Amino acid sequence: MSRQPMRRTIRGGRPYFFDDPAIDKVLNMVVVLASEVWTLRERLMAMEAIQVTRGGLKAGEIDRFEFKPEDEANLSAQRKEYIDSLFRVLAEQVDEARRSKPAPSAAPVKTKKKATRKKK
Amino acid sequence: MLELKHDLRLAKTRDEKARMNFVSGLRAHVLNDMASGMRSVYDADVEPQFRREHKRAPKDGPEVHKAIKANDYFKFYSTLRVTAQDMVWQSVIPPLERNRPELKQKAAKLSGQAQGNGKGKGEARGTLRLQPNFEVPRYVSAIDVHLMAGNYDGEYEKDDLAAGSLYDNGLAVFSFGLMGQNLDDIGQSIAGFIRLKYPNLKPKKILDLGCTIGHNTGSWKDHFPEAEVHGIDVAAPCLRYAHARAQAQDREVHFQQMNAEKLDFPDASFDVVFSSMFLHEVPKKSIAKIMDEAYRVLKPGGLMLHMELPPNSQLSAYDAFYLDWDSAYNNEPFYKPFRDLRPEELCKKAGFDPKKYVQFVIPSVGWYGEKVWREAATRPPEVDSDKTGRLTDGILWYCFGAWK
Repeated sequence: MSRQPMRRTIRGGRPYFFDDPAIDKVLNMVVVLASEVWTLRERLMAMEAIQVTRGGLKAGEIDRFEFKPEDEANLSAQRKEYIDSLFRVLAEQVDEARRSKPAPSAAPVKTKKKATRKKK
Repeated sequence: MLELKHDLRLAKTRDEKARMNFVSGLRAHVLNDMASGMRSVYDADVEPQFRREHKRAPKDGPEVHKAIKANDYFKFYSTLRVTAQDMVWQSVIPPLERNRPELKQKAAKLSGQAQGNGKGKGEARGTLRLQPNFEVPRYVSAIDVHLMAGNYDGEYEKDDLAAGSLYDNGLAVFSFGLMGQNLDDIGQSIAGFIRLKYPNLKPKKILDLGCTIGHNTGSWKDHFPEAEVHGIDVAAPCLRYAHARAQAQDREVHFQQMNAEKLDFPDASFDVVFSSMFLHEVPKKSIAKIMDEAYRVLKPGGLMLHMELPPNSQLSAYDAFYLDWDSAYNNEPFYKPFRDLRPEELCKKAGFDPKKYVQFVIPSVGWYGEKVWREAATRPPEVDSDKTGRLTDGILWYCFGAWK
């Protein structure tokens, strides 16, 4: 068996709680976003701490800073990954739709389907 | 977020750690703050409304569920809990994906050591036995239990152990510290409790059913170092990982791929048959077979003990609803059906003498500390507490079983 990437979507769909499942999906995105905001804050705090230790940052230096082209490219790739992660909740529906003939191991068991597909 | 202590832990970037920290924090918020908020909303609005309509209180979990479903707070609690659950695994997959080749090498090195004679210093012990044509039961192969993409048995390359790492690292995020520094609080609390409570029990052989990555199996070796400790599971990637993990923790445990419904061990060969968080993952029919097998492989005088979620019959209507949430929304289809069973009946049907039935509520040694935990070994058991079986501050572990 050759090496394959790990699957990131959940088989059998996910439960929704609001009358319109779109609300659940949007909330999921908001939380993922919140997670990334927090991640940035942790990183910035680490950065500041390092700079304070080294005494290396001058006032206004970040505002005047421009990225080099290679850094810009790297940033762009990371941005794509970030946006993919933000909208991953929508990918499940697509995965489901594309799985026209699910392999036996990929098909959800009946009891689960009933339990998780309930919308209200 | 809890940092794993053994050598198989994943190398993570600052951002990956921060994401895990966030998910742990989110889960703690949902399971502590929002769970208690939901209880308040229930007491203040949902329950009184039900009483006005029915002239009585809800009688069981499903009635509470039905009554609370339309409430906005329940909806936010639930959708945030699903989101957090999903994010647990999603926070682990990127660093795991990057580390897979190195993880495999590390594990192979650890497991390779284990194939030695076990006598030399630095040479690990224990064994790993997998079955090449093993048939994983459908209740495992067809579902992503607790929303874990790929489940316990998913394999993405030859001799894969990524699923084991996903579970281990995911549990570290999921548990927000409530399952112990080595994710073995259940094993440590229970194995130690049994040793304190039954000083005359000197097991020679101990079996852990459905052991996954063996995180609670090793505790039995810690508390009963003279015993030969075995762990079985159906998922090969978890067992490969479990074996390497046990070496990393310098524990001698024997892991085998086996279905607990049909054990490949002789009659009367174990002194203790244990499981934790296992029975609620299998359908009722299988539970009966597993109990029969536990009885068969136990020696006369041996102890069967299952750590589980508490049965609905021993909980208030609200607490039953609260624990049943997983069954309805967390890809745990067998969770409620299991908790609707009566544990004493299960033991009796498997051939155990009802007079030899036991059940305990054991304080988490990590949460309560050694003093409270030791005292509990001398107290009569109590089950009906809203801390029992919940991953929340002040957690208590429930277990039941019988002496053969």
